[in-house]
Amino acid sequence: MKTTPLLEIKNLTVTYPYGPQGKDELKALDQIFINLSEGQISGIVGESGAGKSTIGKAILGLLDPPANLVSGEIRFRGNSLVGLSEAQFESLRGNQIGYIYQNPMTALNPVLTIGEQVIEAIEANTNMRGKNAQAYAIQLLKRAEVSFAEDRLQKYPHQLSGGLCQRIVFAIAIAAKPKLIIADEPTTALDVTVQKSVLQTLIKLSKEEQIAIILITHDIGVIAETCDYVYVLRNGKHVEQDTTNNVLQRPTQDYTKSLMASVPIIEKRLHRFPLSEEAKLKDASTGLHYLQEKQSTQDSTHESLLEVHNLSKIFITPSSLLKAKQLFTAVKNVSFNVMRGETVGIVGESGSGKTTIGRMILGLEDITDGRVIYRGKDLKELVDSAERRAHCLSMQCIFQDPYSSLNPRMTAGENITYGLRVHKMINPDKAKSLAQDLMALVGLPSEDAEKLPHAFSGGERQRIGIARALSYRPDFIFCDEPTSALDVSVQANLLNLLKDLQEKFSLTLLFVSHDLAVIRQMCDSVIVMKEGEALEKGSNKDIFESPQHNYTKSLLNSMPKFNRIDLI
Amino acid sequence: MHFSTLEFATKSNKMKNLKHIFNSLLNKIRPIFSGHYIAIAGLIGFSFFLLVAILAPWIAPQNPYDLMVLDIMDGLLPPLSKLGNGTTAWLGTDALGRDILSAVMYGLRLSLFVAFVAVSIGTTIGVILGLLAAVKGGWVETIIMRAVDLKVSFPGILLALMMLAIFGTGVDKIIYALIIGVWASKARLTRSQALSEMQKEYIDAARISGIPNWRIMVRFLLPNSIAPVLVMVPMALSGAIGAEATLSFLGVGVPITEPSLGLLIANGNDYILSGKWWISIIPGLVLVSLVLCINVVADRIREYNNPYLKSKDQ
Repeated sequence: MKTTPLLEIKNLTVTYPYGPQGKDELKALDQIFINLSEGQISGIVGESGAGKSTIGKAILGLLDPPANLVSGEIRFRGNSLVGLSEAQFESLRGNQIGYIYQNPMTALNPVLTIGEQVIEAIEANTNMRGKNAQAYAIQLLKRAEVSFAEDRLQKYPHQLSGGLCQRIVFAIAIAAKPKLIIADEPTTALDVTVQKSVLQTLIKLSKEEQIAIILITHDIGVIAETCDYVYVLRNGKHVEQDTTNNVLQRPTQDYTKSLMASVPIIEKRLHRFPLSEEAKLKDASTGLHYLQEKQSTQDSTHESLLEVHNLSKIFITPSSLLKAKQLFTAVKNVSFNVMRGETVGIVGESGSGKTTIGRMILGLEDITDGRVIYRGKDLKELVDSAERRAHCLSMQCIFQDPYSSLNPRMTAGENITYGLRVHKMINPDKAKSLAQDLMALVGLPSEDAEKLPHAFSGGERQRIGIARALSYRPDFIFCDEPTSALDVSVQANLLNLLKDLQEKFSLTLLFVSHDLAVIRQMCDSVIVMKEGEALEKGSNKDIFESPQHNYTKSLLNSMPKFNRIDLI
Repeated sequence: MHFSTLEFATKSNKMKNLKHIFNSLLNKIRPIFSGHYIAIAGLIGFSFFLLVAILAPWIAPQNPYDLMVLDIMDGLLPPLSKLGNGTTAWLGTDALGRDILSAVMYGLRLSLFVAFVAVSIGTTIGVILGLLAAVKGGWVETIIMRAVDLKVSFPGILLALMMLAIFGTGVDKIIYALIIGVWASKARLTRSQALSEMQKEYIDAARISGIPNWRIMVRFLLPNSIAPVLVMVPMALSGAIGAEATLSFLGVGVPITEPSLGLLIANGNDYILSGKWWISIIPGLVLVSLVLCINVVADRIREYNNPYLKSKDQ
């Protein structure tokens, strides 16, 4: 016997016009179908541009023009949602279908208290008023597992953490007892330790209130933790759908398989990601010679390249008329050594001071206290300007945000070699061919050196950033979350490239990330940081297989785990 | 012969190059204006005024500066009257017998020249100071930005009047006065743009690579923070034209021997009540349409560059 599903989407096609006169069409969604029964949690997973969020918006009638719902059916409890008027949608939104946004801090109104916002949602969707509404609000917060629910009502969003704010958004979403909640990347803005408990709350709410949830995410770990059923999307097209276990362990489509192979795992360290299609380093390229020239002049004995002694950083907000001087300790007394050719990882949640350490090493931030010894020398003690320059240039950085790390008004090639030309370390003709060689080395077409950065995707820009760092023939590269802004398959490609480059040119890397699995794959030894302090240091194996500190253990426990077939 | 063909070849190459630059410029301008008929009309109007101003010495029926050609007997004639020498004064004459059409052409020339020079110098100074304030910080920034605050706290016209009272009148003096009106807002805008650009990682990348500060300013900050300032330039231009006209009307602007549009309006002011409307009204109409044309174009450029307005617009 077949019951009517709660939500049924058939052949949904949404297009965006683009091009000079809007003549061309981009299919954001192409013949998508989804079935959802009551109380079921379904995941929609895909990389950027897959059209995940468009589905959520199409259901609620929130497609912004010029998006165009070309064809398809959306049925909610048997009623069609296509072509409803704005007023009809309004009675549906919040009341029967809830929506949870990615960033809880911006989803809540910063000038209203939590209580006012929850009660507003209650009064808009139910008959409860005054004391009743207040009591119901507290009840809702408790159901969303907000601690000290009564006190929280008086608070403003900025006084609460991101995780708490997201729980309050949950409470508002369930106020009208909706049948369906669309959660668009609900934990992407949260730290990993918070993510797990927030997801558990979401599952609990779904079970208790019989709410079906569509969970839109790029994170396969999140899908594995929460969903019963998964739809895999790519470029607006349906790729695969099945139960979560089947998709994760027995993917049938090539795309899903390669997606699974790209997800860094935490259980064991692989040599590289087992990707089927990727650009391998070309041995014959001249870029390689350029970089190896320097290598031969150096002794490659095992010594510590970088020593960090008792490093501290205190940010001072100077006193003003109304405020006294404020001190913020970003880094507290951190010491570590980096051996030549080694990769050291620093892992920690946001605000743990990991990036600040790197910035102090690179000289972008003044050192409050402590010493940084690089190649046996402290920058402060170097007087000769040529020596200082050589010292600084052999330390390079790969930045976090590919969209702001290149000068948008210079071509890719100019971006790569501009510094060398300024320092007259290369003549203009050679600079051009070097830029092309380095582009080829990092796996980009060498003729693309003439293009401006906006012509490249995020992953490609990150490769240009790597080429720029390599142009100085550095010994040491600080990698500041180089893949956190990238899709998982792009990330895997880039991490493989970094590993290859490191092997070829015996680079020494200091790798900062919030992602434990990435650290597990990349680093030889690991430093765990929290609130400016290094809590635990050890080899990759020690940290991940026998963690000592409680915080490390809790970090490891909160990583989403899933079984998948061995694709290697 | 061999030589000349070579010369010809490079010349035609240059022509090709120019043509290429012109085409790429056209391709940049086209999306801004396509479909916006009012803005196109403004652009055409402005180009017409600009052309007239540039060509005034060759196309004007009379040289209004040459007292020899003026005849007091032709004074105060209404439009379309015949002059003593047999030509027609299409827009009438003023008290000295000066042809209004020619005077307006020359006045337009002066008004546009003053405004162009003042705005380009003022914007350049403002951009340089804004960049310096952003990059140097510390006391440099304090001095520059407090100077901006000081300038902004005075009404512009009052400041200009004070300037002209101290230095006297003259075309160069009024250009100085207008520059003072222009630079401050550009400095402030450039600084805020440059500060937000400096937060981006490519500036850090440049600093790690030991690229000197002035190069970071010229090659990194300037091209990436100039766009909003350039969008403001047409607005500043119409503002400067208006301010110059105001000052000249008040008699503290350009000298009486070199009439600008404002001065022409002031000249006719005495006669307007006696029915000799054309002496004031015609330069006034030209002034209004010029400023209107520029503002319409400036509005469209601003709209095009504002991503928020853009998405609604299309």
